[in-house]
Amino acid sequence: MFRYIVRRLLQMILVFIGTTFIVFTLMFAGGEGDPIQNLAGERPVSAIQRAQLEQQFHFNDPFLTRYWHYLTDLLNLDLGTSLTGRPVWDLITERFPTTLMLASIAILVTIVFGITAGVIAGIRRGGIFDNITLVVTLIIIGIPTVVLAPIGQLLFGIKWPIFPATANNPATWYELLLPGIILGMLSVATAMRLTRASVSENLRADFVRTARSKGIPRRRVIGVHVLRNSLIPIVTFIGVELGSLMGGAIITERIFNITGIGNLLYKSLSLGDAPVVVGTVSVLVVVFLIANLIVDLLYAVLDPRIRYE
Amino acid sequence: MTDIQVQPGHVPTGHALLEVKNLFVEFHTRDGVARVINGVSYHLNPGETLAVLGESGSGKSVTAQAIMGILDMPPAKIPGGEILYKGENLLTMSEEKRRQVRGKEISMIFQDALSALNPVFPVGWQISETLRTRAGMSKKDALARAVELMDLVKIPAAKARIKDYPHQFSGGMRQRVMIAMALAMDPKVLIADEPTTALDVTVQAQIMDLLGDLRRDLNMGMILITHDLGVVADVADRIAVMYAGRIVEHANVHELYKHPAHPYTEGLLDSIPRLDSKGTELATIKGLPPNLLRPPTGCAFHPRCRYAKDVCRTDVPASLNLGNGRTSACHFAKEMLDGTLR
Repeated sequence: MFRYIVRRLLQMILVFIGTTFIVFTLMFAGGEGDPIQNLAGERPVSAIQRAQLEQQFHFNDPFLTRYWHYLTDLLNLDLGTSLTGRPVWDLITERFPTTLMLASIAILVTIVFGITAGVIAGIRRGGIFDNITLVVTLIIIGIPTVVLAPIGQLLFGIKWPIFPATANNPATWYELLLPGIILGMLSVATAMRLTRASVSENLRADFVRTARSKGIPRRRVIGVHVLRNSLIPIVTFIGVELGSLMGGAIITERIFNITGIGNLLYKSLSLGDAPVVVGTVSVLVVVFLIANLIVDLLYAVLDPRIRYE
Repeated sequence: MTDIQVQPGHVPTGHALLEVKNLFVEFHTRDGVARVINGVSYHLNPGETLAVLGESGSGKSVTAQAIMGILDMPPAKIPGGEILYKGENLLTMSEEKRRQVRGKEISMIFQDALSALNPVFPVGWQISETLRTRAGMSKKDALARAVELMDLVKIPAAKARIKDYPHQFSGGMRQRVMIAMALAMDPKVLIADEPTTALDVTVQAQIMDLLGDLRRDLNMGMILITHDLGVVADVADRIAVMYAGRIVEHANVHELYKHPAHPYTEGLLDSIPRLDSKGTELATIKGLPPNLLRPPTGCAFHPRCRYAKDVCRTDVPASLNLGNGRTSACHFAKEMLDGTLR
């Protein structure tokens, strides 16, 4: 296990260098013309802003040197200053707790509803519950968030005001409940399908037949032997999902006016605030890498065949 | 065939430990109903070994799974028959009572131990699971007993390997783990479903020896399911040969090897490779086992039988009693025994 962790950490360093390099390259992949103007899009860049950007991105240095500056700054948690004058790091850390809360609600909803429904549907494959959930999940998967979120807000925030329709800054758990559930809906559907497939496949596995032949109660056969093996793909899905939810849900956060990472990214993109965009994306890459690392470690805990590879 | 141990023939006494009576099993599939077991009867006396022989799809494993009560129903259905254990019908028992029989009275080992063992739990955990959940043993006691069981099946350094996972064992050792697990509750009957098929030849012999020794030392009855005639000669007392969901011949080992009373058995015996037949082509039984969704009329074996006559194509042969517990489901069983069938 120790060797596995060490190897996985070394891999992560390589992936970190690779991904940040790609992110950095893409930022200046605007092609011909003024790189600073490319960063800002179509908005005019004032002389002061130009000087600030030049200083932050070391435009007078060769490309690799610039990347090296960017990397060391990133590791020192120095993400530069926003065009509004505030340190980017502060902007991110201010919003991160809200996004984390929102993501937690969504993941919790996914785990509780997705896995429970998936296990039931998997055990009674072809039954009424299975068929109903199949239809419902297909419908949910088919609706994009841009439609689902406003409908949810209209129904449960305005028509029947069970939940607040929008959030304050900073948002409370209660305010994040409705957007969290809506955000989780999509992954509920996927988690459910995944659990169902995994459970029904494992139910037919040879080792389940063995467990039954040992005369242990059916509850235990399913709860221990089937579930433990079915969890392996689900954990992967949940982990990756958590990683991408950390990136903030741009649409949901916009609709419910939640001041999270997604909102920050949206605003800085539309304002052409390049330092914020670059900094946020870089941090998100790291967050995603960490989420993946956790998934891989959990994977090894759940499946001994990987641990002793 | 050399060196066959002659065993006294066992006659059905009505006091068998386990008795399958006129069992029917069918599978309901999208393509129709496959009748996989069509009136199978056999019995097992305490402490003896019955070999059930047949090709893949002959129904030998399905019968065993019906005895264990681990058939998936649906798609399987048991429209008729009885399975008596110590005189009690397992098929009409409550599920809870039936569960108590599994593992404790009758236990089973499977073909491929790698897939039959749970990949995510250590072997000690898996062996001791029954002891913890059913015998109410503490975790520590159950693990100690698991080490004893692993010693019993001759796994070297059992104590050190208790926390290892199935994939860390060799094929032979994995099958030993499987056996140790099946023996945990001291069963009276052990069903071994092709226990050596997935193993190397040398390891096969070791596992068969182990099973033979354990059966004798623990005084269990054993049902040995196999398609390998070579495997059964040394360990079995009686043989039941299955074809297309029926028992086509039943006899004690010595008689069956010497004078097969069914053309299918004869074909199986002829297709055993021998050292003295070097250079000649290996005999085979022509054709394939029947599709049980559309079984042939008459005797299910007639399309492949070299003696097939008109009556074989129209009439299903009854199981003929040839005396001394010997039966054959062939219209010409007597002629086969006399050697007059052409």
